[in-house]
Amino acid sequence: MATPLHARSAPAAQERRSTPLFTERRVNRALAWVWVGGFFVFLLAPLAVIVAAAFGEPVHGRAVFPPPALTLRWFGAIQGEYLTTLGRSVALAAAVVVVCVALGVPAALGLVRSRWRGKAALTALFRAPVQIPAVVTGVAFLQLYYIVADATGWLGAGTWTGLLVAHVFIALPFVVGSVVAVVQRFNTSLEEAALILGASPWSTLRRVTLPAIAPGIYSGATYAFLTSFSDLPVALFLSSSDVRTFPVLLFQAMDYEFDPALLAVATIIIAASFVAMLLFQRWVGINALLRSGK
Amino acid sequence: MTLPWPRFLLPPLVLSLALLVGSMYVFLKGSFHADLGVGRLGEAFTLANYRKLFADSFYLNSLWLTVQLSAVTTLLTIVVGVPVAYVLARMRSRWGPVLLAVIVAASFVTIVIKVLGLNIIFAANGGLNRLLLELGMIAQPLTIAGKVEGVAIGLLYFTLAFIVILLYSVMLTIPRSLEEAAQNLGASRWRMHWRVILPLALPGIIASGLIGFNLCMGAFTSAALIGAGKILTLPVLIQRTVIFDTKYGMGATLAVVLLVTGLAVNLLSILLVSRLNAARGMTA
Repeated sequence: MATPLHARSAPAAQERRSTPLFTERRVNRALAWVWVGGFFVFLLAPLAVIVAAAFGEPVHGRAVFPPPALTLRWFGAIQGEYLTTLGRSVALAAAVVVVCVALGVPAALGLVRSRWRGKAALTALFRAPVQIPAVVTGVAFLQLYYIVADATGWLGAGTWTGLLVAHVFIALPFVVGSVVAVVQRFNTSLEEAALILGASPWSTLRRVTLPAIAPGIYSGATYAFLTSFSDLPVALFLSSSDVRTFPVLLFQAMDYEFDPALLAVATIIIAASFVAMLLFQRWVGINALLRSGK
Repeated sequence: MTLPWPRFLLPPLVLSLALLVGSMYVFLKGSFHADLGVGRLGEAFTLANYRKLFADSFYLNSLWLTVQLSAVTTLLTIVVGVPVAYVLARMRSRWGPVLLAVIVAASFVTIVIKVLGLNIIFAANGGLNRLLLELGMIAQPLTIAGKVEGVAIGLLYFTLAFIVILLYSVMLTIPRSLEEAAQNLGASRWRMHWRVILPLALPGIIASGLIGFNLCMGAFTSAALIGAGKILTLPVLIQRTVIFDTKYGMGATLAVVLLVTGLAVNLLSILLVSRLNAARGMTA
């Protein structure tokens, strides 16, 4: 840090040595840490409270923080239905990822590399579902399914497939966006080298291009998974009592008598989120998530 | 490379287009037809829903509330998030990546679970309220259910982690060397932040703010769960109009107004930013 010349005179230097606690730099540093620390307390408080309550006895049938005593019984009291629903949500999100990657990666490659006018319009079209509030998407798909049912006899509302189609709709922009971002940055000279060395275009795609853009695919897939797994508004319209996702189950449970065993399930989800983050950081690197420009 | 790229694009394009046009056309068309009850719509084209919406203070208040809540929450997110993002982006210690990973992991957790946690924190007999009551800092327990402030807190949790991640990427793009230059020229740290960092980060901050604003405008979960039927933002009202009243026409009309308002705010801000940039370009 530069100090103006006059401050370097002997008395000032002495003064600084005698009051080392409150230099401007230290005060700024302390302020920054208080701010950042406060932010993390604020950010993590609801999650910490759930985990604590999941291991605690309730008071008058309600979960409280801090809990009066610790117990593991809520984890034992998790009903089969909760786990079935959680499993269904995970399977749905996984299927959404598979479909979105299968559609989104070719779409992104096509978007960046086709030489069409009006590519900007197509990019906007692929982004459009993000701009539509999820509630609106939910209602719109419900009505679309009614019309399809009138025409074909197949009703998508309340079925697993119906949820899958709607979730692919809201999740696809994230895969397309992430992959477009990496394909644009990708240096095509690597592909040219492979072609010159005699690789066919298809094997170049498989062995050069796809590995190079993999981080974008992983981060897009992560966002797609989360979009489906976290979604409440769309699933709320398309769920039935037989086929509902975990957020819908939780939403409905919060309106009525609340079962503390749900806190145990929520704790499992929170733990899984942190583990997933760790794995992603280890395998792909957190930067892929940041760069994808969702 | 000589692969048939346009052909790659075709299947996803056709599917996306079919889903987008199919769902939105069916839904938005309903806004121009009268509700006949039990989900049926009239045959004739009419603007009655729109007339009703703009004549009824109930709907207009809901729209105004949604815009206000989204704006205030976005502002809060930015004020809280910018210093955090800046400190994390400048951090040289090995804890930096860990803290960042914690924020990303927190953004992974669905808002339904976060609201569940907020309900426990703000329970009338919860630890926080008992502590504050005992300290005499409050006379009544602080609760969030059915309160505008509560919904604002819920919206804050909906966007905060994600927006801080965006702001972090913005801060990374500002070279450290500029700060050192400013300080070597004698600028104080605060002055350096105001005159060097903030102006450089402003376009990115505004872009992140817009994303946050859009998320808030469309946010259903926190508003529905915390608002408890008392705070009716537009997304909540849309869900109620469709599910409880089975008025698809009016629901669609509200959705159109929500979409158009969001779009208008975005366009206005983009216009403002480009004017700002142009003005700065002239003085520079």
